[in-house]
Amino acid sequence: MGGKYKTPMLDELEKGPWPSFVTEIKKAAKRTQMADDELGQVEKSYVTKRGYWKHGGIVGVLGYGGGVIGRYSSLPDEFPGIAHFHTVRLNQPSGFFYTAEALRMIMDIWDKYGSGLTNMHGSTGDLVLLGTTTENLEPLFAEYSSRGWDLGGSGSAMRTPSCCVGQARCEWACIDTMNICNEVTQYYQDQLHRPSFPYKFKIKVAGCACDCVAAIARADLSIIGTWKDNIRIDQAEVKKYADAGMNIQAEIIDMCPTDCMSYDGKTMKINDVQCNRCMHCIAKMTKALKQGKVKGATLLVGSKAPIVVGSLLSWVVVPFIELKAPFDNLKDLADKMIEWWDDNAKPRERIGELIEVKGMRPFLEAIEMPPVPQQVREPRKDPFFFWSESDFN
Amino acid sequence: MSLPERQTDIGPPHYEKFLPPIVKKNYGKWAYHEVLTPGTMVHVAEGGDKLYTVRVGSPRILSTDTIREICDLAEKYCDGYLRFTTRNNVEFLLSDQKKVDPLLAELKAKKYSVGGIGPRISNIVHTQGWVHCHSACTDASGLVKAIMDELHDYFTTKALPNKVRLAVACCVNMCGAVHCSDIAVVAIHRKVPVIDDVNVGKMCEIPTTVASCPTSAIRPNPKTKSITINEEKCMYCGNCFTVCPPIEIHNPEQDGVAIVVGGKVGSLRTNPKFSKLAIPYIPNEPPRWPSTVAAIKNILDVYAANAKKHERVGEWIERVGWEDFFKLTGIPFTFQHIDDFTFMRDTMRNSAAFKY
Amino acid sequence: MEQTEIQEKIFAYMQQMKGKKKLKEKDIIKKIMEDTSQDKDTVKKALRAMIDVGKVMYSYGGGSSSVEIPSEEYLKEKGLI
Ligand code: HEM
Ligand code: HEM
Ligand code: HEM
Ligand code: HEM
Ligand code: SF4
Ligand code: SF4
Ligand code: SF4
Ligand code: SF4
Repeated sequence: MGGKYKTPMLDELEKGPWPSFVTEIKKAAKRTQMADDELGQVEKSYVTKRGYWKHGGIVGVLGYGGGVIGRYSSLPDEFPGIAHFHTVRLNQPSGFFYTAEALRMIMDIWDKYGSGLTNMHGSTGDLVLLGTTTENLEPLFAEYSSRGWDLGGSGSAMRTPSCCVGQARCEWACIDTMNICNEVTQYYQDQLHRPSFPYKFKIKVAGCACDCVAAIARADLSIIGTWKDNIRIDQAEVKKYADAGMNIQAEIIDMCPTDCMSYDGKTMKINDVQCNRCMHCIAKMTKALKQGKVKGATLLVGSKAPIVVGSLLSWVVVPFIELKAPFDNLKDLADKMIEWWDDNAKPRERIGELIEVKGMRPFLEAIEMPPVPQQVREPRKDPFFFWSESDFN
Repeated sequence: MSLPERQTDIGPPHYEKFLPPIVKKNYGKWAYHEVLTPGTMVHVAEGGDKLYTVRVGSPRILSTDTIREICDLAEKYCDGYLRFTTRNNVEFLLSDQKKVDPLLAELKAKKYSVGGIGPRISNIVHTQGWVHCHSACTDASGLVKAIMDELHDYFTTKALPNKVRLAVACCVNMCGAVHCSDIAVVAIHRKVPVIDDVNVGKMCEIPTTVASCPTSAIRPNPKTKSITINEEKCMYCGNCFTVCPPIEIHNPEQDGVAIVVGGKVGSLRTNPKFSKLAIPYIPNEPPRWPSTVAAIKNILDVYAANAKKHERVGEWIERVGWEDFFKLTGIPFTFQHIDDFTFMRDTMRNSAAFKY
Repeated sequence: MEQTEIQEKIFAYMQQMKGKKKLKEKDIIKKIMEDTSQDKDTVKKALRAMIDVGKVMYSYGGGSSSVEIPSEEYLKEKGLI
């Protein structure tokens, strides 16, 4: 199989040092007609500068509304192999860890039922299998689920939660991100597979303010690790950094955003009450500086991409919460947030947008959080604020 | 053919099954790490155990063949354990230092790109494009390939003032976190869709189509049994096309890409930031998008030459000011750069102090 | 009220709304609760049972999910008829 199409445009993208997606499609095209027709259609897009896909509608496995995204070529006569080219989202294990054995099993089944092409991984976090037909969905699901692999979320549902590598391989993880991610995923299985929300809801977990999963930018509920007590300083290690040529004054002291550090050539000092825990000094001097020992997470809500009225970054609602397995306090808070949103939102309104419409007060009251200065950058500027009866008691 | 019994709502397999023994043993007990080379780092546990990581780039679209090859490597050098990063890199996890160099040698021989750790560029997060999405105004995979070829040295060797996170979104939906990247490409339509009244009447549910428009630009047109679009309200998002294909949003000669800069997600030093508009439009030039690639290279070079150590692109720009950014990069400033949407009032200069 | 009776009402309502409005799970549950004065869980269970056997199915479009009556063509592709 393969080689049905001449692809002079795409061939240009096999040149150069970076691994080529064209080479990947060609490898699969040697084995499946789907991948070969995909190659042909993409070449056509490169010539005409437009895409040829349709999507949506009823497509999925029985009982579920999530995990499969319908995809059809708009040129099925020209490219019959991709008349159906549905996406399957397989829920990734926390932290994207695999064994060769497990991955091979996934690939063997995929070769039996699909195009042989994947995305490792989709932006939501799922292991994405690109391109199969409606008939193949049930057998494929039976094969995967019987071996312990389930589908991820899509549509107006809980989306597949994801997390950074956390305590599995990072000294800065203040919380057990992988465990939290796994627990939350299991807790919300029904909401993940059966879309019943006003719109999507995403949860991402980062172990510290470096935020390697971009939780703050792309999750309705962003969980970010932090600590409360003093940064622990190992002066001997500080000296080693200096001896190794680090300009501690310029690179660390002067770049501390709160101006709370000093170094006299011998001793580093931190005025911890001023520190805002930005992670800069710790990230740059990982052997010398350690976070405190009272660790937990900050919960933020609301981020989304720019469609429709502009982007939002998540903002703080719970400055500090201790997170210990099985994380019942987190599940309880998330439940309250989701319930309030589900009760009040219009279709296709994300939780951040709803809070903008209704205000922070009803939201905070719903999740039983008091107002605290950590939630805002600054108080309001105008005198046009509301009072409710409960304020007069 | 008999199929195994399906199960539902079991969720993903527990991650513990996939953790290398050294990770299981030292879970939550890592003391520090060191970046050894642009593609390798070592994590040292409190008890002294050392875990070596070798990171390689990937085009994200992978064939099952390549994944099997990666599995072979993991079995040969890492007892079968491996992981992926959020930026779609592959990481080989080794507990035996002696195996690191042989692995690197084999990766080199097989032409893998090793790198992406430390103050450099990592893999470009991106979306589906013409390869797989109906909304796409450009091809994400092709752009990524062309950009990474040009910037390859910044992945494998050369250092920058700090990490530079790149992203490509193939339409304004921005499925990746493009809106918070150091430098990102976002593809755009620039023309109001063209309506094929006859087919709209035949193929589409009018109420659904009207409801699909985020700016309420669409009204039913009972005369034609179709719809009309208020051109002043339309922001070319393509949602209407998505629910009703006879409303044609694609315009191959006018579609293209914009470049946004200065975003970040971490809280280090300064707060997370959105990316802001640097270049409003560059035409699509498949297969290798030379103008877009050159524009990104220019911005990266100017940043590398002017930023202080540890400054991210956005931090550098905020220190020198946007007026300096446009001067240093030679990028023309246009009407499109001035916000006339939700955030206008936050973006105008309310001060008489500025630079030339 | 028997589950089958609730299910008949659900199906009738969905047929009536077909092509007029995309119904979300919640819309259906609300309407049938009003019509039958059954509680939410009972109605939801009845609806979910229909979804589990493919009598009605989740669908996707317009940026959000809905529940629809599948076409014959689709049921054939799935091997359900
Ligand atoms: C009108 C709005 C949107 C439409 C029609 C849309 C459509 C799509 C489609 C069709 C896909 C599947 C691509 C495929 O695998 O075939 C997709 C994927 C995705 N979308 Fe969107 N999208 C929209 C808005 C957004 C927004 C605003 C975000 C971010 C908040 C987003 C995030 C994602 C993510 C993370 C994926 C997975 C993509 C990947 O892994 O490459 N989308 N979207
Ligand atoms: C109900 C609310 C407010 C009332 C009743 C009010 C009232 C006043 C009055 C009586 C003046 C003096 C005018 C004059 O001498 O000509 C004034 C000046 C001013 N107000 Fe307000 N104001 C209100 C809200 C605000 C807000 C929210 C802002 C800005 C965020 C603001 C900004 C100013 C400024 C900049 C001046 C000019 C000050 C100056 O000339 O030194 N005002 N306001
Ligand atoms: C010295 C400082 C830093 C070190 C040592 C570091 C280390 C790492 C490591 C080990 C990963 C891989 C995570 C994984 O396995 O999923 C990673 C990923 C990431 N980091 Fe950092 N990080 C640092 C600073 C930052 C900063 C300042 C930011 C953003 C403001 C950032 C953003 C990210 C992002 C977005 C990812 C996902 C990228 C990927 O997987 O390659 N990091 N970082
Ligand atoms: C008009 C019809 C629309 C269609 C047919 C559509 C279709 C899709 C599809 C197929 C996906 C990916 C599948 C999934 O993950 O569910 C998606 C994702 C998405 N859509 Fe839409 N969409 C539409 C409108 C919108 C609108 C109006 C918005 C925003 C206001 C929107 C925001 C998103 C977002 C944020 C995602 C992200 C998915 C993710 O994060 O994983 N979509 N859409
Ligand atoms: S977010 Fe923090 S804890 Fe998680 S991997 Fe990144 S640096 Fe480590
Ligand atoms: S964490 Fe940030 S604010 Fe705190 S001392 Fe370090 S650099 Fe300063
Ligand atoms: S960014 Fe737009 S075109 Fe690209 S995958 Fe997402 S929805 Fe499709
Ligand atoms: S392109 Fe977007 S804004 Fe314009 S009419 Fe269509 S849905 Fe509305």
